[in-house]
Amino acid sequence: IETAKIFDFEEFPTSDKVTYMYYTGRLEVYNENFIAADQKLTYALMHCNSEHASNLRMILKYLVPVKLSIGILPTMCLLDKYNLAEYTDIVNSLRSGDLRLLRKALNEHEDQFLRTGVYLVLEKLELQVYQRLVKKIHFIQKQRDPGKAHQIKLDLIVKALKWLEVEMDVDEVECIMAILIHKNLMKGYFAHKSKVVVLSKQDPFPKLKGKPVST
Amino acid sequence: DDKEEGKELLQQWEDDWDDDDVNDDFSLQLRGELENNSEKN
Repeated sequence: IETAKIFDFEEFPTSDKVTYMYYTGRLEVYNENFIAADQKLTYALMHCNSEHASNLRMILKYLVPVKLSIGILPTMCLLDKYNLAEYTDIVNSLRSGDLRLLRKALNEHEDQFLRTGVYLVLEKLELQVYQRLVKKIHFIQKQRDPGKAHQIKLDLIVKALKWLEVEMDVDEVECIMAILIHKNLMKGYFAHKSKVVVLSKQDPFPKLKGKPVST
Repeated sequence: DDKEEGKELLQQWEDDWDDDDVNDDFSLQLRGELENNSEKN
């Protein structure tokens, strides 16, 4: 392993460098090192021969879930061009906060995602979708009653989830909100007795913008 | 060529997509649902 250091990576043929970055990038995905995976797979994507659409597609099958996990979305144009329709609903669910859509998409393409080994990465996007959903509830509330918009009743979230066919009671929702706060996807605190989550007035829903969800 | 293609591929990502727009279909339905429920209570 040590002797590898005496070689200059840049001296290898491009096709070898792309292959190396593709496989080591995949390893980083399994190890959940999303920043390193992003760098390696992006390198592979950028340097891959553009005539090899199927190779680009293979790289993207891993790069898309990696990017999603750090809050970066592919354009629909990219998904169309490289025939990656299995990610369309997942991207839509992140944009909308539609938890039902995320679960449906994971279910529909389960075999494929398990085979490539990205299922667990995609499953963890659920927290980002919860964040988006609560953010939408917050905005809807803001339009009706701006003064009280930063106080969200847990009941309201339970109702929204019920509509999305996600059966959860108030305690379970409180638990999910606690995880969002813990992972810095939401800033605020609970008024436990009144079953209300009080959002911070400043940047209550921090964006990931290329950083992984904190662990 | 490859470099141009690579650049184009880099432009196919959005890191600041999360806007405050609540006028999409999903949001409108969500609003309807939440308001319906609050009337019942």
